[in-house]
Amino acid sequence: MSSEPHLTQTDPRQDARAARAARLDAARRELADASGRGEGGRHAMRQYSHRMDALIQQLYAEAGSLTQSVAVFALGGYGRRELCLHSDVDLLILFAGVIGRDDERFLHAFLNPLWDLGLTIGHHVREVADGAGLEADNSEFLLALTDARSVVGDATLLDQFQAASDVARTNARTLEALKGLIAERHSKYNDTLYQLEPDVKEAPGGLRDLFGAQTIAKLTDPALLSNGGSGARALEDAEEFLLRVRSVLHLEAGRHHNILSHEVQERVSERLGYAGSTPSQRVERFMGDYFRHARAIDRSLRFALKAAPAPIGKNLVRGADGIRFIDNREAAERPESWLGLFQAALDGACPAADEALTCIGQNAGRFAAEAFFPTTAHREALLRFLKPRPGLYARLSEMHDCGLLGQMFPEFKAINCRVVRDFYHKYTVDEHTLLTIRNLERLTDKPSRERERFGRLLGELEAPELLVLSLLYHDVGKWTDDDHTLESARMAHQMFERLGLDDAQRAEVDFLVREHIKMSLVAFRRDTEDPEIFRQFAQFIGVEERLKMLCLMTLADVEAVSRETLTPWKEELLWRLYVDTYNHLTLTYGDEVIDRQQSLHSAVLAHRPDDLESDEIAAFLEGLPRRYLQLFSHDAVYRHVRLSRDLAPDAVKAWLNRVDSGWELTVLTHDRPFLFSNISGVLSSYGMDILRGFAFTKPSGLIVDMFHFTDDEQFLELNAEGEGELLKTLTEVVLGQKEIATRLRGREQGAFRRKLPGFAPVVHCDNESSRRYTIVEIVAEDGLGLLYRVSRAMSESGCDVDLVLIGTEGRRAIDVFHLTRDGRKLTPDQQVEITRNLQRVLEGRS
Amino acid sequence: MKLIKAIVRPNKVDEVKAALEKLQISGMTVTEVRGHGKQKGHTAIYRGQEYNVSLLPKMEVEVVVPDSMADDAIKAIIASARTGEIGDGRVFVLPVLESYKIRTGERES
Repeated sequence: MSSEPHLTQTDPRQDARAARAARLDAARRELADASGRGEGGRHAMRQYSHRMDALIQQLYAEAGSLTQSVAVFALGGYGRRELCLHSDVDLLILFAGVIGRDDERFLHAFLNPLWDLGLTIGHHVREVADGAGLEADNSEFLLALTDARSVVGDATLLDQFQAASDVARTNARTLEALKGLIAERHSKYNDTLYQLEPDVKEAPGGLRDLFGAQTIAKLTDPALLSNGGSGARALEDAEEFLLRVRSVLHLEAGRHHNILSHEVQERVSERLGYAGSTPSQRVERFMGDYFRHARAIDRSLRFALKAAPAPIGKNLVRGADGIRFIDNREAAERPESWLGLFQAALDGACPAADEALTCIGQNAGRFAAEAFFPTTAHREALLRFLKPRPGLYARLSEMHDCGLLGQMFPEFKAINCRVVRDFYHKYTVDEHTLLTIRNLERLTDKPSRERERFGRLLGELEAPELLVLSLLYHDVGKWTDDDHTLESARMAHQMFERLGLDDAQRAEVDFLVREHIKMSLVAFRRDTEDPEIFRQFAQFIGVEERLKMLCLMTLADVEAVSRETLTPWKEELLWRLYVDTYNHLTLTYGDEVIDRQQSLHSAVLAHRPDDLESDEIAAFLEGLPRRYLQLFSHDAVYRHVRLSRDLAPDAVKAWLNRVDSGWELTVLTHDRPFLFSNISGVLSSYGMDILRGFAFTKPSGLIVDMFHFTDDEQFLELNAEGEGELLKTLTEVVLGQKEIATRLRGREQGAFRRKLPGFAPVVHCDNESSRRYTIVEIVAEDGLGLLYRVSRAMSESGCDVDLVLIGTEGRRAIDVFHLTRDGRKLTPDQQVEITRNLQRVLEGRS
Repeated sequence: MKLIKAIVRPNKVDEVKAALEKLQISGMTVTEVRGHGKQKGHTAIYRGQEYNVSLLPKMEVEVVVPDSMADDAIKAIIASARTGEIGDGRVFVLPVLESYKIRTGERES
């Protein structure tokens, strides 16, 4: 019989497993020993967490090769390095990209050994892109994430994960979830901490309350717990005490057990070294300490719940003293985030907190103007911020006082505390400037009866932020004693580039800054009862939008000179000049056709592209009102000229443009019955809300219509084919191949139901203002299909709609139609008839 | 002495002042006023709605001059404030019985 030699074979995997188990056992023994001595507090747990980190790092290294960046983060108690003997080990495993099969293999190779070791693992696996939906993740995960700590792998993944999220909403939801969980947990204990057999983790005044208070502080104000409640020191003592108690409980039970029952109280008090001749004496003293610490935690938690500022944005909270940064150090390095603080203060109708202003004041000088608006989004945010509303002056003043305004707008620094001695100005130039903005914002908040008319003008502006920007710059040129308007305009141009304003915005601000004293000169120094004066002024202004801006600028500017400067007398003069000029612009523009001497005419010819001849452009412009050139850019004019070339009688050229606040539809075609009505009807049939627009008709019958509308139902947004469908319908309706009335009827009925009570429509027929046209002004409650209905009624009365101006003020439509009938103005009888028909339509009687 | 009260167009105040200064009349009171003459204002239309503009903005210039200068002052005011159109204003002349300097209490003749 032969015998084979016995070979001792070792399985390397088993060896590794045994080695890991030995390491874990050693770590646990270490903590158990400390716990047995009553020393299982913060230090011992930190040590145990450290050993767990090493184990996880080893498993990560042994889990195989990686195809992408992966990181492991400790969450919850483990994240705080307060891992108890039988605590769950909560982990977040974060992948940079999409998790593939290789990554799943890695996960198994990493997690299986942890389970083999008998650990209770709570693991969350996420991709960085999941951060985008973080605020909707489960609330326990959100809470655990507040203690996230990198253990191994690419630590920056967590920053990327959180950067993808809406931090403000995530923090707000985390906080709400935490408050809910606290209330729910407390109710289980009848809302009292005085439990005879308390759960040291879950009961009121227990460890969860302590972590709750700490989390609230972390999310809102790191200094919160030092400023109120029991104070930081008392909380530290309470935490150490409860951790030691919990360690003994885990040790005694040999499992995850946190209830301090009567039997266990004796052993815990003994292990913690309480003095006393009998167990009950020791227990009494020990429980006395327990309740003292629980009270401290409870008090701090209540304070945190009551006093914590509300998170309202990334690194922003709202406290009792206003909006401030959660982390000033982080804010100090991110100047582009500072405007957000003032915007939040504006939105919340509260100030910026002193602490935040100090932080900004200390750091503003480190950054150039460009650093505050590095992206288009930041520049757009600035323009949104400048929209006049209550509180804007106060916020701008805060920005000025802490030095931010001068850094954002270096030109503004030139008038910092600038004194100009004259007989009428009462304030320094910078304060005068800010007061102009205050005067404007006051028009937005229940102005006096006399000012309501100016308030309405402000409400009608398309871009009131440009008016505020112009006010901010209107006097910066006063640093010099020369003509300050020219200097202000020159300095404003420096800002245009930084803010990336488009050509139209630049032109508007340039005009307002350069001409900001023009209207007061005309109103107060010229004979405004002389029609020639306001005719010239109207020509100088060009269009109503600019007139409204300059009127408001004048009002705000004069009022900011001193308390006495803007008398009711001056206010009246200004208003009358506005009304006369407005009437001239809207009622007589049809008589003022483009002539070759007009500077804009020359400019259009001078800058023409190679494919267009001067004569062709001039022929196109002939017979159009002058305001056509003031409303359309050169490029738009050139496009119109090209499209109008050999335009067939049944051709309809229409196109849509996306603009800041909605859409623009432009239509070029030959005039035909019900044209204007049909175009507006098509837009309304798609639910579009027409805000502004105009229609021009050339003597040759060519029409150019432009409608600015909003798509509240997002038809164009949500339908890839939407633009094509709308334009196709438009063409078919205009050419009479499709009728629009049926499609529109259902929507119109809905619109009628929304009528405002007590608002009577106004129809005014004017045969005097224009030599060529009868003008019908309509002021009525805006509603879907309004333009369709009124213009249809005009066409049905045999009128030609030659020119149209469409405007809205809130829910009020202000439309001006220039009409003829058989090429002539309407007779008195025809005026009566059209007025009656329109009244009937507007009152919903037909 | 005469008190001359002139109601003039707002844009004519500077010219009236200049004309009076040429006559060495530099002390004057200028007040923003509103009122109407025979025409009782007019009707204006804004956005299709009529509103009555009954009180028109004007400026009132007051000067006190010796009797000997009153005619020249009146002529200067009328010449400088006139446009020839309706709404040029009015000049009123009132006798002044006594005049005192408040600072010194001195009576002026």
